[in-house]
Amino acid sequence: MENTTSKAGEVLDRFLARADKVAPYDRDTSLYAEGLGLDSLETAELSSMLEDDLGTDPFSVGIMAQTVGELLDFYEA
Amino acid sequence: MTQENYDPAAHYDRVTEAWGLLLGEELHWGVFSSPDEPLAQATNELTTRMISASRLSPGLRVLDVGCGSGTPARRIATEHGVEVLGITTSQVGIDAATAKTAAAGISGVTFEQRDGTDNQLPDESFDRAWVLESSHLMPDRQALVSECARVLRPGGRMALCDIIRRRDIPFAELRERREDFAVLRAGYGAARMDTLEQYAGYAESVGLVVDEVTDLTTETLPTLDKWRETSAQHRDEVISLIGKEGYDTFVISLDILEGFWRDGTLGYGLISAAKPA
Repeated sequence: MENTTSKAGEVLDRFLARADKVAPYDRDTSLYAEGLGLDSLETAELSSMLEDDLGTDPFSVGIMAQTVGELLDFYEA
Repeated sequence: MTQENYDPAAHYDRVTEAWGLLLGEELHWGVFSSPDEPLAQATNELTTRMISASRLSPGLRVLDVGCGSGTPARRIATEHGVEVLGITTSQVGIDAATAKTAAAGISGVTFEQRDGTDNQLPDESFDRAWVLESSHLMPDRQALVSECARVLRPGGRMALCDIIRRRDIPFAELRERREDFAVLRAGYGAARMDTLEQYAGYAESVGLVVDEVTDLTTETLPTLDKWRETSAQHRDEVISLIGKEGYDTFVISLDILEGFWRDGTLGYGLISAAKPA
């Protein structure tokens, strides 16, 4: 699963670059508000990109990840 | 255009001119009693509804939050004898509004660069707060209304109109329709819509007494057909100002907005509230 987790990180980086939200982050960084600042539409776009590349994503199965770590953990499960 | 020769003021002027051609001189939605009415009459009617909700009278001091290039500010100052301070975060907008007001020879209307959600103006220094179609671009809606309430004198009034959300949009639906929402974001900025009930809640939470909550969704719908007409009429001029991509995004957005208007997702509303004397 480490490979999938790594790919999820790559998708996140690609999404952030496309959304012009490039900033340093770690596992504890919030995906929203004071962290990466994703709004609901951006979260939907990230959800779609993750599903396209990895076949599944936490948001569309009802897991609303709050941090980068929670997002990546979904792919380690 | 390269970064080296990018001129923000010139860009603002081009965008404002393009939006003026597309949306009409007042740069906002219209309120129609009949779909046959001219766009200018309907946009004028929306401003009239705001004036009525504000209960303007000569000598009052009005804070216009998100004043754009100042068209409503100039109108209410001229027609109702009020003094207006227009605020916006855009310095080029301030410059444009100030120049237009000077060119029109209108006194008692000034503009300053300030954030509507943290305006830094003195407490109880205005009689009216006027928020015409600018709130959807301010992410912290509670802060906007709190600041309006703070600067109002006792007995003062706030009037606000804007695009509203009329129902919850589940995440799965947002994801499904994300391309439509992305087009709206590209065309109109990173907007977020609240319900009229949320706006009323923001006002009541800071001690304002809400006395009008009006859903204008049906009355504003014909605006989209008028914008289709103006976009066809001014196609070449608009493309020369903002490019074909900007023009196409606007045209596509009209169909998306009409769908959202008709299926009850988005709409238009007006709210007014008073600060107890």
